[in-house]
Amino acid sequence: MFLTRSEYDRGVNTFSPEGRLFQVEYAIEAIKLGSTAIGICTSEGVVLAVEKRITSPLMEPTTIEKIVEVDRHIACAVSGLMADSRTLVERARVECQNHWFVYNERMSVESCAQAVSNLAIQFGDSDDDSGTAMSRPFGVAVMFAGIDEKGPQLFHMDPSGTFVQYDAKAIGSGSEGAQQSLKEVYHKSMTLKEAIKSALTILKQVMEEKLSENNVEVVTMTPGSMFHMFTREQLAEMIAAIPELQWTDSSSSRNTIQDLSKLRLGRQTV
Amino acid sequence: MLSVGGNFPEYAVPGAKQVRFEPYADNGGSIVAIAGDDFAVIGADTRLSTGFSIYTREQKKLFKLSDKTVLGATGCWCDTLTLTRLLSARMQMYEHEHNKSMSTPAVAQMLSTMLYYKRFFPYYVSNVLAGLDADGKGCVYSYDPIGHCERSNYRAGGSAGAQLQPLLDNQIGLKNMQNVTEAPIPKEKALALLKDVFISAAERDIYTGDCIYILIITASGIQEEKFELRKD
Repeated sequence: MFLTRSEYDRGVNTFSPEGRLFQVEYAIEAIKLGSTAIGICTSEGVVLAVEKRITSPLMEPTTIEKIVEVDRHIACAVSGLMADSRTLVERARVECQNHWFVYNERMSVESCAQAVSNLAIQFGDSDDDSGTAMSRPFGVAVMFAGIDEKGPQLFHMDPSGTFVQYDAKAIGSGSEGAQQSLKEVYHKSMTLKEAIKSALTILKQVMEEKLSENNVEVVTMTPGSMFHMFTREQLAEMIAAIPELQWTDSSSSRNTIQDLSKLRLGRQTV
Repeated sequence: MLSVGGNFPEYAVPGAKQVRFEPYADNGGSIVAIAGDDFAVIGADTRLSTGFSIYTREQKKLFKLSDKTVLGATGCWCDTLTLTRLLSARMQMYEHEHNKSMSTPAVAQMLSTMLYYKRFFPYYVSNVLAGLDADGKGCVYSYDPIGHCERSNYRAGGSAGAQLQPLLDNQIGLKNMQNVTEAPIPKEKALALLKDVFISAAERDIYTGDCIYILIITASGIQEEKFELRKD
């Protein structure tokens, strides 16, 4: 297994005999090292909540931007290699503006995801005449939250360029535990307020640091006020309202998640 | 031209030979579009001509772009053909890319950008776009050849555009009238008015005549109608 893998895991445009593209699979693994991001879509709007990893007390937390505005009606939450995400976000912005310029209407969230996925799958175009050589897939997963004619929408795109619509989705290091919690807590008639609370509660469960207004970013997309990023004061208020976790519960769930990621890492290297 | 060399040899000079490139033709034709609360009517004459000769008396100049959008295009006929084919292709691509049909305002904006992209070698076409917008309201968009776009409720375009527009301004826009109350125009009145203004245009404009081909756009579909004009 190790031998076949090492021979076929170098090129991004070579399938292994089992029909796999290892570089793409590794890129998807890279997301699982990124900070956790959660998106929940309700009938009132979409909420995006991400963890910011403050690795040093000397770091300026506001310069870590993991949720960005793509257009007035679309927001993006990213996890993985932040530098790569800038390229994807830039494309999303250009495509939205171009759509507005040509058609005088707001781009749908799905079309925006489609446009960005077209860039994400161009990693194979290195040895032809296209000029722009891309050496590897983008190491980011993106969540597009937006409001269009179909109402509030949430899309997720991974490094392979695959994009799927979700009611609720978690990406990043804590995604497995968070996705499980989302499955339990999500229901169709959820209000936006409930969704924000759930997103923060789940984030609190899966984060290694203690959740505070400094290390989390929350954005809501609503038909009324569109892109709204929560201020520090609003975040502090929301966080204070979250019920304190039972210690045994949280520690066990946190351990499982960490164990899972260790297992996964182990499998990857062996 | 006076052949100087033959009759007056002493005036003969080796002049510069001019080779002119004339990429445009004027094939005439007029369009009128009127929008109401829940409908839009658009009519164009069916005469295709060049100078004093008529190519055909039955050329339709209205293009059904979708079940709620119709484009009327006159001017250089070959440019009209190219532009409308390109428009249909772009609309088809939009449908595949975005999984929905284009709204009339979207088509209107796209046509504007398409015309402007030929800013320095324009399509010599007078465009009037009529249809229903996203709310089901009638709308009319008019253009200049390089893409200036304006939404209105009524518009005349093409060779007799300048003759037809003041009549519409008076009858629909109620311009230069006193003691009038504005009211939405009913479909029957719009149709009757459209025929009337074309009869007047056919009297004065030699590039307008033969017949009017009318399309009535409503939420339930597009109806066709024909109306004879003078043929001289």
